[in-house]
Amino acid sequence: MSGILIGQSAVNVLLLTGVLTIAALGFSIVWGVMNIINLVHGATIMLGAYVTYIAFAFAGIDPFLTIPLSMALMFGLGYLIQRGVINYVMRAPMLTTFLLTFGLEIVIINLAQFFFKSDLRAITTGYSGASLTLFGDATQNVSVEVPYIKLGALIIALFLTALTHLLMNNTRLGRAIRATGMDKDAAQLTGAKIGTVYAITFALSAALAGAAGSLIAMTQSFQPGFGGTYTLYAFVIVVLGGLGSVPAVAIGAFVFSLITVLTGLWQPGLTQAAAFLLLVVVLVVKPSGIAGKAFYQ
Amino acid sequence: MRDVLRNNRTSILIGAVGLAALLLLPLTTPSGFVYRTLTSMFLLIVTAQGWNLIGGYTGYAAFGNVAFFGLGAYATGILMYRHEWQFLPTVVVGGLIAAGYAVIIGLPVLRLRGHYFAIATLGVAEATREIVAWWTPVTEGAAGISLPFLKPISAAQNFFYYLTLGMVVFGAALTWFVIRRKLGYSWVAIRADEDAARMLGINTTASKVTAFALTAFLVGIAGSVYAYYNSFIAPEEVFKIDRTLQAILAVVLGGAGTIAGPIAGGMIFQLVSTFLIFSKPFGIDLGQFHVTIMGIFIVLVVEMAQITPPVGFNLFVLQGMTGRQITWIARQSAPFFVLMVVMVGLLVAFPGLATWLPAQMRGAG
Repeated sequence: MSGILIGQSAVNVLLLTGVLTIAALGFSIVWGVMNIINLVHGATIMLGAYVTYIAFAFAGIDPFLTIPLSMALMFGLGYLIQRGVINYVMRAPMLTTFLLTFGLEIVIINLAQFFFKSDLRAITTGYSGASLTLFGDATQNVSVEVPYIKLGALIIALFLTALTHLLMNNTRLGRAIRATGMDKDAAQLTGAKIGTVYAITFALSAALAGAAGSLIAMTQSFQPGFGGTYTLYAFVIVVLGGLGSVPAVAIGAFVFSLITVLTGLWQPGLTQAAAFLLLVVVLVVKPSGIAGKAFYQ
Repeated sequence: MRDVLRNNRTSILIGAVGLAALLLLPLTTPSGFVYRTLTSMFLLIVTAQGWNLIGGYTGYAAFGNVAFFGLGAYATGILMYRHEWQFLPTVVVGGLIAAGYAVIIGLPVLRLRGHYFAIATLGVAEATREIVAWWTPVTEGAAGISLPFLKPISAAQNFFYYLTLGMVVFGAALTWFVIRRKLGYSWVAIRADEDAARMLGINTTASKVTAFALTAFLVGIAGSVYAYYNSFIAPEEVFKIDRTLQAILAVVLGGAGTIAGPIAGGMIFQLVSTFLIFSKPFGIDLGQFHVTIMGIFIVLVVEMAQITPPVGFNLFVLQGMTGRQITWIARQSAPFFVLMVVMVGLLVAFPGLATWLPAQMRGAG
């Protein structure tokens, strides 16, 4: 492997890690705090992507500027879903919430197909093809390329991850969320309205998914069904990193990206299989994940 | 054990009459549509019966059963397409390959519980699909495999109808046979409390792996038959996660951990689903909304199950909060239950209700 290839792969791993961290972060928080495997997550990412697409295609807004909009809209949607549907089955067995969120995912994806059609969409801006060139080797005409869009996505992902970390650890709301996750009855006794806390937690998770959707929309073409794959990625990432903290998600996303990029160099058709194989191995050997703790602490 | 067929003459009678009616049905020369609907329904029931063993009786929520379906389908596909085998032996081989795969997968994965088991099985199914799609020299990859047709059509219709019906009977008989043996009791013990079961001297690993292998066998033969019945298989199609979920929903609808559950649930699921696709109430074509309405249907039924005695979870929550008898709670919540049944009934009778609002929005915009 040449130096350039190694450099490009390292850059790709870093860029992928950023987006995947954001895509998995909300999933991890909902799982950790509410003990719910949220299968709607991918559908929320998909809606975030369409918010960006519509704002860009019909109002000409720069895709990066649409991120707050898609986060706000998904926050509202997430709040409604938790308040109106999932709060009613919070104490039910795992299979119930699994099936329930699956049903909601089907509804959202098919309504999206109805409104947006199944056509592949892509967002092409003036700076879409441009990239930053590092370590160019003019003699062989090869270089390490960093596309501006992916660089921007990485920066935004880092910013949002740091913000979430601060929110969870240093604010009153974050403390309420963590307390509810540790012991919902005790939290209720100390004055947390757990119904509201759950709704806000789910809404935050959805907002992060919306941001992930906006970022993904700029880097790949998509149709209403694309989110399901990201739900599965989020699973793998959360298990790899372990439940329990924001940095654990970033570690999981990094390992996942590494595996994906390396497998992609060798056999592009087997990237998912490799990731899932690793998932099963990690689950069996160390179910708490690489950096996992018992809980969000 | 909530075993409906046990000590229950009425249920056995209903089953026998139903079976006799289904056996005689082809004499009335039904349309191809009826044949297709019923054959699909029987296949769904067999996959549901399979899931019922691991998910219903043993209490392990497996979410990757479609891997067994796909392996069964590909066993038949490859053996018939490449090696020109007769059909029926490939079904047995398909079931056995799926069962062997379940043993290999089950030994590590069945050590996990709850969410982790669900996800690990889901991951295995996805990985299996990708490997099958990638291994082109053997599986023809994403292009898929075309199998020979069974001719003439009328003979094929009857053949698949009776074959799948026979599989349903086999699945029920297998369940009935196993759950009254030591093995079946060990499953129920594991579902109730796995650690206690181990304390009592049950080899829980062996029990769970056997349950998983039997599950895989049933799902695998369903996949095998599907391959020949559909005469075309491709990775995206036979490994679609919807198949796993439909089977789980059928079991949950009908009653997990019972013999009649998967049969009743599979019938309800297939009939509602078919009805939604082909009925056109008020001249509205609901085909495009079929999956949306199914999704809303799932959400309603799951919420309804929460207040259904004797296992509805919210009843116990209420009991804990009020300190009243569970029977009193069940009586008091009955009106709400009836309301939800009415809602489901309305949704089945007028599926247009579910999509009225989005239709208005699109009409305006």
